[in-house]
Amino acid sequence: MRSLLRLVKFALQSVFRNFWLSFVTTSVLLLTLLTVNMLIVLNVLADSTIKSIQDKVQVEVYFNAGTSEEIEKSVHGYLQALPQVKDVAVIPATQSLETFKSLHADDPEVLAALDEVGGNPIGDSLLISANNPDDFEFILAALDSSPEYAPYIKEKNYADHKAVIERLSGFSDKVRLGGLGLAGFFALISVLIVFNTIRVAIYVHRDEIAVMKLVGAPDWFVRGPFLLEAIFYSAAATALMGVGATLILKFLEPQIQSFFAGVDVNLAAYYWENLAIIFGAQFLALSALSMITTLFAMRKYLKT
Amino acid sequence: MITFKNVSKLYKPDTKALDGISFHVRPGEFVSIVGTSGSGKTTLAKLLFAEEKPTGGSIHVGDWDISRIRRSEVPALRRQIGVVFQDYKLLPKKTAYENAAFALEVAGAPASRIREVVPQVLKIVGLADKMHRYPRQLSGGEQQRVSIARALVHRPKIILADEPTGNLDAITSREIVELLKRINDVGTTVILVTHDRDIVNAMRKRVITIQNGKIVSDAEHGKYHLG
Repeated sequence: MRSLLRLVKFALQSVFRNFWLSFVTTSVLLLTLLTVNMLIVLNVLADSTIKSIQDKVQVEVYFNAGTSEEIEKSVHGYLQALPQVKDVAVIPATQSLETFKSLHADDPEVLAALDEVGGNPIGDSLLISANNPDDFEFILAALDSSPEYAPYIKEKNYADHKAVIERLSGFSDKVRLGGLGLAGFFALISVLIVFNTIRVAIYVHRDEIAVMKLVGAPDWFVRGPFLLEAIFYSAAATALMGVGATLILKFLEPQIQSFFAGVDVNLAAYYWENLAIIFGAQFLALSALSMITTLFAMRKYLKT
Repeated sequence: MITFKNVSKLYKPDTKALDGISFHVRPGEFVSIVGTSGSGKTTLAKLLFAEEKPTGGSIHVGDWDISRIRRSEVPALRRQIGVVFQDYKLLPKKTAYENAAFALEVAGAPASRIREVVPQVLKIVGLADKMHRYPRQLSGGEQQRVSIARALVHRPKIILADEPTGNLDAITSREIVELLKRINDVGTTVILVTHDRDIVNAMRKRVITIQNGKIVSDAEHGKYHLG
């Protein structure tokens, strides 16, 4: 215990008495965390945007004209009970016709056929929102395979949306993959920067390490303060990043909200909800990296 | 106390720094090891506090067989030999007090003992009024006194001084050697490695002369007689 307290004392002395070295090391660690947090923000924004677009994708199911309200209610209930379905809304026949017409506005044959039939050949319709657009195929298949309801369904506009949904899913996968690749790339750069910064810091202390050894300090006593310093730098950088992120988000949140109007994005809330995980993980990863680098960098100076 | 038996040290590819050195130092002796640059005297000092290992022969310091010492045992050995270097080897970001205290702290000495011993030792070396200064705020002679204080805090049986006056003027050198003599007077064995003719001749103590890695003379009240 006495030795541990001494190690902490030596580490703190070293941090404050080598102020500029400590300042530079902490700054580099802070910049590393800034990169990591920018990637987190980008990822959250991309996710929110994609999710918001996905939320807007809805598929309409048209009933045959004259389908009874009872059947419509039953189909509504059936769909609503599926776990993949987020919401189902009943659209009256008149509104369904308008929607149908607007969807086929550039298809004169369909419009001509409608005129020929006269009146409103379309019944009421259901507007379905899914939890995940990829689930529409399953939802509609469930409807088709139900002998109870299939005969009352006139048309589904899923085919019109299918290409969009597939493109959106593909885009979202690409964004996630790209984000992961970018994060990996920056993580590698960060590791190299931290590695070199700590190596330089240890190099500056090489004579001191030799002296410690010459007066009879065991290896663990020489290593201890440097490892603790690595933890202190990581803690300081993480704390500064936490404060910085809070201030930056407070300042930028209104701008982000207005830029992404209509998209449900709340970065501050995201950070607040995941505070312990985000900064805990960053602190642990940074400490581990700094400590491993410290041990590695000290090896050759401990040989005397 | 200290026994060198047929010790040799080779540096690759073919430099023979020490060649079959044998001598014995009794407890409480003051021995000067002299020689010109490159004669092997600093190598001898490095072997004595296990900074290097001999290529052949054996070295005993008290109960320690240094020629076979394990790496993990070296810190304990070093805490029993006080070493003073030409370039002081002080920790620049620690005060004189902290430098001296460090040698006790690494050994796990209790704080109460450190608070008691360190001021005493700094008083012995004449730095009681400058104990809170950093090395850069002290003169060369004062820094060497801090180095001696650090070597003394363990109350070692042996003090090894490797060219302790090498960076000092004549007057300060004499003061440092006087300090070493006073330490010897209270029973501590002192090994002084030097090439300072005046200091060696003024002391009239045992002198071991090394040339080309071999002992060329070992005189009880010797003089420096190299060219």
